[in-house]
Amino acid sequence: MIRSKKIMGAFLIVLLALVLTACSTTRSSSDSGGAASSDKKDKDINIAVNQDFTTLDPHNVSDTLSISATHAIYEGLVGFDKDMKIQPVLATDYKISDDGLTYTFHLRKNVKFQDGSSFNAEAVKANFDRIQSSKDALIASHYLQYLKSVKIVDDHTIQLILNQPFSAMLNKLTMVEMISPKALKDQGDKIGMHPVGTGPFEFVKWNQGESLILKKNPNYWDKGYPKVDQITYKSVPENGSRVDMLKTGEADFIYPLPEQSVQALKTQNDITVDQTTSNIVRYVTLNTNKKPFNDKKVRQAMNYALDKNAYIKVVKSGFGSELDSTMAPSTQFYSKQKVYNYDLSKAKELMKEAGYAKGFTAEIWGDTDSATMKGMQFIQQQMARINIKLKIKAMEQGTLSDAINTPKSPDDAKVQMWYVSWSPSSGDADGATRGLFSSAAFPPNGSNTAYYKNGEVDKLIDKANQTTDVEKQKSMYATIQKDIYNDAPWLFLGVDTNLSAHVNKLKGVYVLPDGSIQVKEAELQ
Amino acid sequence: MSETMTVSKQQIASKRGTLSTFWHDFRQRKVAFISFLFFVLLVILAVIGPYIVPFNPQTPDYNHVLQGMSQKHWAGTDEYGRDVLSRLIAGTRISLGIGISSVLIGAMAGTILGLVSGYFGKWVDKTIMRICDVLFAFPDILLAIGIVAILGPGLKNVIFAVAFFSVPSFARMVRGKTLEVKEMLFIEAEKSIGAKTNRIIFRHIFPETIPIIIVYLTMQVGTAILAAASLSFLGLGASPSSPDWGAMLSMSRDYIGTAFNLVFFPGLAIFLTVLSLNNLGDGLRDILDPKIKD
Repeated sequence: MIRSKKIMGAFLIVLLALVLTACSTTRSSSDSGGAASSDKKDKDINIAVNQDFTTLDPHNVSDTLSISATHAIYEGLVGFDKDMKIQPVLATDYKISDDGLTYTFHLRKNVKFQDGSSFNAEAVKANFDRIQSSKDALIASHYLQYLKSVKIVDDHTIQLILNQPFSAMLNKLTMVEMISPKALKDQGDKIGMHPVGTGPFEFVKWNQGESLILKKNPNYWDKGYPKVDQITYKSVPENGSRVDMLKTGEADFIYPLPEQSVQALKTQNDITVDQTTSNIVRYVTLNTNKKPFNDKKVRQAMNYALDKNAYIKVVKSGFGSELDSTMAPSTQFYSKQKVYNYDLSKAKELMKEAGYAKGFTAEIWGDTDSATMKGMQFIQQQMARINIKLKIKAMEQGTLSDAINTPKSPDDAKVQMWYVSWSPSSGDADGATRGLFSSAAFPPNGSNTAYYKNGEVDKLIDKANQTTDVEKQKSMYATIQKDIYNDAPWLFLGVDTNLSAHVNKLKGVYVLPDGSIQVKEAELQ
Repeated sequence: MSETMTVSKQQIASKRGTLSTFWHDFRQRKVAFISFLFFVLLVILAVIGPYIVPFNPQTPDYNHVLQGMSQKHWAGTDEYGRDVLSRLIAGTRISLGIGISSVLIGAMAGTILGLVSGYFGKWVDKTIMRICDVLFAFPDILLAIGIVAILGPGLKNVIFAVAFFSVPSFARMVRGKTLEVKEMLFIEAEKSIGAKTNRIIFRHIFPETIPIIIVYLTMQVGTAILAAASLSFLGLGASPSSPDWGAMLSMSRDYIGTAFNLVFFPGLAIFLTVLSLNNLGDGLRDILDPKIKD
């Protein structure tokens, strides 16, 4: 008995020690992570977001949230203004030759990277070289597929020479941001964890899964900016918590604002709710390489069976509009299509013609986000009306991405339906088309998870890029959208309305149509 | 079942006498008795629930989403316009089903292990008990999450996971009782007339352990329901579209500020069920085995 008491005592001590260390670690990390909340200074702001950042390497970033952060630290030769119009940033101006093959950029002078090294033509070339020569294809290498060579004209002039005209080149260049060549050399593969750019904010600390802290770049070239000292991004996946943080002042800006909280927040005097245009489209991909989705009639039937108005009302709480093309109205060369109006009898008719009057069973995949879960259940309810029994498989982000991107060939792919969204961060029609519908973009090379293959569309996508005639491009993209919409490789759901909210004293932080948060002009009043 | 088994060993009292004494004692304990009535109601709902629900628990009605409590919808409607009360009633079957079946499986496995461990002693006992100790070291829900993470989400796997973490408690308890019973004279007598081990364990020792099994079973069902609901809440259990209480809670947490009824009623259902099962267990323990009172 005595012995066991001793053992028990020892055990308790060990336990206590463990608990204490556990406390102290959480304590210290929350201290650093939440520094801004406890001893938040006058010119510090907190932004609550719904996910964690995946990387801070601007050349290998694919999710919109991480793009928000790279846009704060880095800048490209050109960038977007609030309406997604292209503006020179690190270039003062640019000229495109008549044949569309040579782009000449005059670089901004007296710009320094955050580590003190100068920004010049050498640095620009180093960045393009990194993207083109990297062993494991960086995401940005897709943007530069037509780039033949980079020529340094003088210290502040650079020429990009293409091997064929590429109309979306400037849009793509907004996504090619400049990393300090010195940092690239020092950090190597770790640049994603230790970013150094020319942007208004420089990197302080990234507690993965918790927060990202950036501070003011005192030597920023655009005098007068930034107007705040520190920005802390906090990852808060729980919708309700984000809203509460805003109410209690723990966060100054939140995005996304859950639709169902809009009404409640609108009644608060010290909080402003922003509704802005979005180019985020919501859809479900149908694997056209797999039975029964290889039958166009089945895919069309599913689209007819879908009540889009109910989708907007139920899943989006009324915010958004139906998706009437393959891209959002705010995307370049958008052309409205004749929508699949909700028509159950027509849907049943088509299912019968396809030989699936009795329906079938299938799996729908999605992430574990509560909005996604809600959407998937809605699709499940709708499809049940034409006897399609859907099984919902919600997977954690990493698992899902593996399941989508691991299959080497279309026949290995297990995905049947995927509830997902897309926003072209480069804002161009190519960004909303090639990666999603070109047969060269089957995973893992792109995001054509519908495994959609249409020779005509493939040809047009290439042709549209090669011409510099805007009218011709417009008509080509109109045909592309019409063909794809008619082929229905997706369940076309809706276009978002971007919803964010901020405390009244914060100005200048806004959400671009692609869902990235812009902080350069942030200001506290 | 329980009463008759208890009775078979208490050979002095007549069968009828013990049963009525038990019933009398039980009625004296108001809390336990009320809990018992509530539990009976739940069982009835689980059986006939799907036939008496006012609305189909699965059919959405997009024209009446997120309605508050009204005469038509006593507990309001959810984000798809489904009647919350109907879903709660339909969900009774799932929750009770998981709770009872998983604990029965766990109890069965645990009892056999406990009997074997207690009766044979030595290395058999040591091995089984040390394995149980290892399992005890994990918090229940963590163990269950681990198992579901390996097997994949789904109701069947939740049942298995919950059953798995109830095994060691049953094993340990039954072992204790077995150690006590096996030293008794009638077992020694049994051995001396050459009864087989099987017979001794299952015909003579096992019935003695039944009262404590019953008591613990009742209490464990509550824990199991809570664990299953937690797993569903985390998206590891029931399909989110099914009217499982935990899944309902999980799906409605986004509305906690705007439509409290969506969160409140499933929570209340879980709370009352677990509370009544615990009270019932307490009451049964007092009557059936005064010795294991805490």
